[in-house]
Amino acid sequence: MKRKRIYLLLLFLIIFLYPFIDGNAYRLYVMNRAIIHAILVTGIVFLTGFAGQISLGQAGFYAIGAYVSSILSVRLGMPVVFSILIAVLVSLVAGLILSIPSFKLKAFFLSLVTIAFGQVVWVLLLNLDGLTGGANGLFSIPRFHFGSFMFDDAAYFYLLAFFLVLVIYVMYRIKNSYMGRSMYAINNDIIAAETCGINSKRTKIFAFGFASILAGFSGALYAHYEGFLTPEPFVFFESANFVAMAVVGGLHHLAGGVIGGIALTWLPELLRLDIAGFENYYLLFTSLIVILFVVLLPKGLGGLFSELLVRLKERWRGKRGTERETPQVRKREE
Amino acid sequence: MTLQFLSDILQNLVSGIAVGSTYGLVGLGVVFLWQSINRINFANISSAMISVYLFYSFYTYVNMPVAIALILSIALVALYGLALRYLIYEPITKRGASKLEFVVATLMLTVLMMSVITVIFGGMPKPFPPIFGESGSFIRIGSITLSTIYLYIFVIAGVLIIFLHMLLRKTLVGKLLRATAQNNEAAQLMGINVNLTTSLAFVLATTIVGIAGILLGPIYFVSLELGGGSIGIKGFASAVMGGLIDPYGAILGGILIGLIENFSTLLISSTYKDIISFVILITVLMLKPNGIFNWTTKKGEAGQA
Repeated sequence: MKRKRIYLLLLFLIIFLYPFIDGNAYRLYVMNRAIIHAILVTGIVFLTGFAGQISLGQAGFYAIGAYVSSILSVRLGMPVVFSILIAVLVSLVAGLILSIPSFKLKAFFLSLVTIAFGQVVWVLLLNLDGLTGGANGLFSIPRFHFGSFMFDDAAYFYLLAFFLVLVIYVMYRIKNSYMGRSMYAINNDIIAAETCGINSKRTKIFAFGFASILAGFSGALYAHYEGFLTPEPFVFFESANFVAMAVVGGLHHLAGGVIGGIALTWLPELLRLDIAGFENYYLLFTSLIVILFVVLLPKGLGGLFSELLVRLKERWRGKRGTERETPQVRKREE
Repeated sequence: MTLQFLSDILQNLVSGIAVGSTYGLVGLGVVFLWQSINRINFANISSAMISVYLFYSFYTYVNMPVAIALILSIALVALYGLALRYLIYEPITKRGASKLEFVVATLMLTVLMMSVITVIFGGMPKPFPPIFGESGSFIRIGSITLSTIYLYIFVIAGVLIIFLHMLLRKTLVGKLLRATAQNNEAAQLMGINVNLTTSLAFVLATTIVGIAGILLGPIYFVSLELGGGSIGIKGFASAVMGGLIDPYGAILGGILIGLIENFSTLLISSTYKDIISFVILITVLMLKPNGIFNWTTKKGEAGQA
C-alpha cells in the first residue's frame, strides 16, 4: 500500500517535471497529442475491454467534439470552456443514440453500425461546407484559455495530464462500482448477467455514453490545441488506429488506454527517420509493428507490464528469503 | 425529353447492377471467410487493391499480355489469402486471442498494404489500362446509350457468379466447403480435410475480391480508394444483406446497394449517395439482423456474431 503510493507520487513527479526536463517544443507537442489520444483510447478500453462492445466509429465522436466546439467558438464567439462543454454534451447524445443498436447486435454487426456512423459523420464534415469549412477546414480556432490566462504548450500539458489522471481515477472508481461489475458481467455472459438482475441495456448505454464523452472531450481538446481543423484526422482509419491503440495497450487493463495511446502516438514519430528515400516508410513500419504486437502479444503492453511486475516482485521476495505469499494475502494487501 | 430520361434510367440500371454485383463479389469474400473460420476479415478489400496494382504493374511496366498479367496477378492474390491464414489467423488463434484481435490485425494489415502501395507507387491514382474499352466509348441501341465499361463488367461479373454457383452447388469442392461451413466438427468426423477446406476458403475469398477489384479498376482507377475507401464497407453491407451466410443474398444485396447508389445520384445528389447507403445499412441491421436476402438461416440465429 505504502509502496504503491510512492510509485504514484513518482509518476506524478515525472509528469510534472516533463516539460522542464525536455525543452524541445516538437516533443512536447507530440506528448500533448499522445495524452489527447490516451484520453480517447481510455474510453475504448472502457467500452470494449470492460463492457465488451466494439466500436469502430470513435473517430466520429472525436470529430463531433472537435467540430462542435470549434464551430461554437469561431462562428458564435462562445467562450471556449462552454463550447467544450456543449461539444461533450452533443457527443454524449450521439453516443446514447448509437448505443441503441447494441441492444440487439453483437460484435461484427455492431462494429458495422459504428463504422457506418463514422463514415456518415465524415461525409457530413466534408460536405457541409458552410458550417465545417469542408475539405479546406476551419481556421483560427481560439486556443484553450481560462479567463485571461492563455494556455501555452507547457501549461496545456499540465492541463491534459490533469484530465488524464482524473479520467483514470474516475474509471478506477467505476471499475469497482456496481456499474463496473455489471459491465464485466455482461461482457462475460449476458444471459447469466440478466438472470442475476443486471440491466444490460442500462449498462450498455452507460458504457457507450462514457466512451463518447471521452472521445468528444478529447476531440474538443484537440481542436483548441491545434488551432485549425481539417477532415483528415477523422477518417475511418483513425478509428481503427484508436482501437489498435487500445489493443496494443491492453484491453483489460486500466492503464491500457494510456500505454497504448502514448506508445502508438510516439511510434510513428520515432520511426520518422530523416534518411533520404525512406521518408514514406514510417507508416509502413508502424502498421507492421502494430500487427506484430497484436499477433504476438494479445494481452497488450499493459498485460505484459503487470506480468513482469508480478514476476519481479516474486523474484525480489525470493531473494529476501521470505516465503511466497498466497494469492489471497496479496489481494488483501492491494 | 422522356427518351433522354428513359436512357438515363436504363444507363443507371445497367451500371448499378454492374457495380453492385462487384460489391456483391467483395461481400462474397466476407461470407466465405465467415463461413469457414467464423471471423470477419477487415483486410478483405485489400485483395482488390493488391490485384489491381499487380495487374497494372505487370501490364504497364513488364509489358505482359493481358491474359498472362491477369492470371498472374490473380494467382498472387490467391497466395495472399494463404499468407493471411498462416501469418495472421493461425498465430492469433494459437494464442487464444478473441475475435477483436483478428479485427485489429486485419485492419492494420489493410493500413500496411496501403502504405506498401504508397511507398512503391506513390499516392496518386493511375489510369487503368483500357482492357475493357476506352472510358468514353458508348454503345447505342436505338436512341439509348450505354457505356461499354459497365456492359463489360456486367457480363464478366455475371459469368463469374454463374461459375461460383456451379462450383458451390455442382462440384465436390463446393460440397466440402458447404459441409465445413455448416458444421465444422461433423465435417471432420465425416473425413473431410477441414484444414484443406479452410485454406480453400481463404484462397477463394481473396481471389474473388481480387477479380472484383480488377472489375472495379476502370471506375475507381488504380488507386488507394480500392484498398480502404467505402467500397470495403459496401462489401460488408452486401454480405450483411445476405445474413453473412447466403452467397446469393450477398450478390443480391450488392446489386441493391449499387442500384440505390446510382439512383440516389441520379435523383438526389452524388455527394450524399454514401450516406444513403450507410443509413440503409443501419436500418437493415436494426430491423432485420438476419439480412433481407437470406434463405439459409432459421429465424433468430444471426445477429449474434
